[in-house]
Amino acid sequence: MGATQTTPVREASRSGLQDVLARVPRWAWWTISIAIAAGFPLLNLAGVVETAWLRVGVVSLIFVLLSLGLNIVMGETGLLNLGYIAFFAFGSYTTALLSSPKFEIRWPFLAVVVVSTLVAMVAGFLISLPTLRLRGDYLAIVTLAFGEIVRLTIINLVPLTNGPNGVTGIYSPRLFADAKPALEGVQAWFIIDKPIEYYYLVLVCVIVLAVLLTNLKNSRVGRAWNALREDELAAISSGITAVRAKMLSVVLSAGIAGFAGALFAYYSNVISPESFLFMQSVIVVCMVVLGGMGSIPGVILGAIVLQALPQLIREAAGAARSDFEVYRMLIYGILIVVMVIFRPEGLLPDKIFRREAHEVDPRELEMTRQSLFDLEEGQKDLEV
Amino acid sequence: MSFDHIMSVTIGGLTVGMIYALIALGYTMVYGVLKFINFAHGEVFTVGGYVAAFTLLALGIDQNSPWTLVAGAVALALLAAVLVPMALGFVIERIAYRPLRGRSRIIPLLSAIGVSIVLQQLIIIIFGPKPVTIPTLAISSAAVSFFGVNIRVLALVIIAVSAALMIGLTYLVKSTRIGKAMRATSQDMEAAEMMGIDTNRTIAFTFLVGSALAGIGGLLVVMYYGSLKYDAGFLYGLKAFTSAVLGGIGNIPGAVVGAIVLGMTETYGVSVDLGFLAWFVVAGLALGLYVQMVKAPQRRLAHIADERRTAEYERSIMNVYRLAPYHGIKTLLAERTDALLSVSAAHGVRLMAGNVFLAVVAAVMFANASMRIDTRWQPVIAFAVLMVILMFRPSGILGEAVTEKV
Repeated sequence: MGATQTTPVREASRSGLQDVLARVPRWAWWTISIAIAAGFPLLNLAGVVETAWLRVGVVSLIFVLLSLGLNIVMGETGLLNLGYIAFFAFGSYTTALLSSPKFEIRWPFLAVVVVSTLVAMVAGFLISLPTLRLRGDYLAIVTLAFGEIVRLTIINLVPLTNGPNGVTGIYSPRLFADAKPALEGVQAWFIIDKPIEYYYLVLVCVIVLAVLLTNLKNSRVGRAWNALREDELAAISSGITAVRAKMLSVVLSAGIAGFAGALFAYYSNVISPESFLFMQSVIVVCMVVLGGMGSIPGVILGAIVLQALPQLIREAAGAARSDFEVYRMLIYGILIVVMVIFRPEGLLPDKIFRREAHEVDPRELEMTRQSLFDLEEGQKDLEV
Repeated sequence: MSFDHIMSVTIGGLTVGMIYALIALGYTMVYGVLKFINFAHGEVFTVGGYVAAFTLLALGIDQNSPWTLVAGAVALALLAAVLVPMALGFVIERIAYRPLRGRSRIIPLLSAIGVSIVLQQLIIIIFGPKPVTIPTLAISSAAVSFFGVNIRVLALVIIAVSAALMIGLTYLVKSTRIGKAMRATSQDMEAAEMMGIDTNRTIAFTFLVGSALAGIGGLLVVMYYGSLKYDAGFLYGLKAFTSAVLGGIGNIPGAVVGAIVLGMTETYGVSVDLGFLAWFVVAGLALGLYVQMVKAPQRRLAHIADERRTAEYERSIMNVYRLAPYHGIKTLLAERTDALLSVSAAHGVRLMAGNVFLAVVAAVMFANASMRIDTRWQPVIAFAVLMVILMFRPSGILGEAVTEKV
């Protein structure tokens, strides 16, 4: 699909290898990726890789969920959200409060996940009510302020959140509510507490979400989002209710972040405000930019490259955590600048977004300007 | 509330506000010219502070140094705190922003965020993650008595220096050739180019001036607080940006007004009782009621063509504003076909809701008159101000200089 509809310029610049790769059908890529992802823990079972690598895998998959969610607002609808991690925080803290010794509550897994998602969605709805009228860059700053307010409130609301210490001892997920004592043995089977179990749980969520989002992207709603991103005025004139479509995308992406937050809280057992810094939002933004705004395979790739690769390198090199973080963020920063200047469409671009990203080509602008000057020079010559 | 307390809080707020203003001017000028938020500006400020602090440390002055030596060292630090950020601002613009000119708004913003992260990590790599601390100098601890209130000399210096710089900047923009070029570029870049203005040079100059002001801000902060952390630029930058938006972005006097308002709000917010703060809310409520009862109906009436402006029509417009809850909701429910009247009704209900909200806030504050807002919440104040201003009046107090629909 991608091979036949690219622009002629791109076609000409393709090398032989790229041509071969482009001919591999889409479904084959998906199958290979899923097979690799599903086979990875088997290496751990076989003793080839350490469990630490599996933990990296779980966190990376949670970040895949997050960047898929951010991609809806940022990639599909073109609204930059710099406080995205706040919705993640809403999901995490809801889970932590509903399933930890803090208030002595232990709701079943599914109920907690649903409530966490809903809480994040409500937060997204409330924040989108007054802010969606704003133009792009102001919206980015408002969401940034929102994210910081949420983080500072978490730190300051000690009775509810334990402040900077965070909520500890979050229970492991149980797929069903308390069963009869006779079923104790069976019940243990439904408790998820090993990294490999988390890995498959999150992997299934990622696959389901990716399929759903791919369908959504090609639906009426997805096309409305893309139209709004490309030209809001034209989209509105074509009968798209801008506010409703944008709100849907914000609420949906908030819900995905809340869902990811719930999984994260369960997986890490302990959550603290440290996990919801502005930098985390930027990291997710970076994943979407690297992979390709609006491109679902791209975003998945971006999240894995930026989350798994550095951690695996660190595991392999055994570098100190703080030093490593500094250089990691430095590279992320450089990466954002380089990507938006040289390849704004990302590594695995979405074909509509690529066209849009190259709409104003500075080189082309320069060329037209040059010809304009030549014309003026010629005019002068004539006058003389 | 004693006079002493109010006085020292006011001076404190003014000092903080002036520092915000120095940084905010950079945001507002760049926004005026390029319509783009230079997110890395806060980091340029931090670099200015770090360079100044390390100059002072390298020169090895301390409390016992003679004042001539201190003055020389501070002058050198000032030079460093101006030149290094200027060079940095120039390079950033050239590398990260110029290639992106003409792209949609969020693309250069992303680049700016990238630059900001790079600078912050570079500061950690070069200077280390610990906050830089300068030795206490005689000038930093000196104080004068003013109506029996002790005020740090440095606070007065900050206020005076910032005010002088702002007057200078106003002169630069209003009355010099390059200032004229800046104004022309901000109005219409293409037209400015056609008039023979080198817009690239003008934009670079804007970055130079903004970065120099931020660098001076960095020096002043280091002198005033004695230390600076590598991530200070994030919060200072955001507060300065809040000031710029609060005053009306792209508007130079607006940035100063916004910064002073923000500095005062932050300082008053956590240093005086709620009972005292409530009077500000009451003043806001009075303004809100004036808008609802007098200003808004007048404005709405001005939209009506003369032949339709009968006494009955005027009365119904007045009604939906002045008795907003009753008449307004009734008008809305009745689905008046008259577009103007139903717009007025919706507007009136909104204004009334805002005023009721303010009244409730004031009442709650009076009820807890002796309590104070905990200092822990201070950073939240600036973010809350930012959100509120962007949601309700994105054009700011004095209005944007850029004539552009938000």
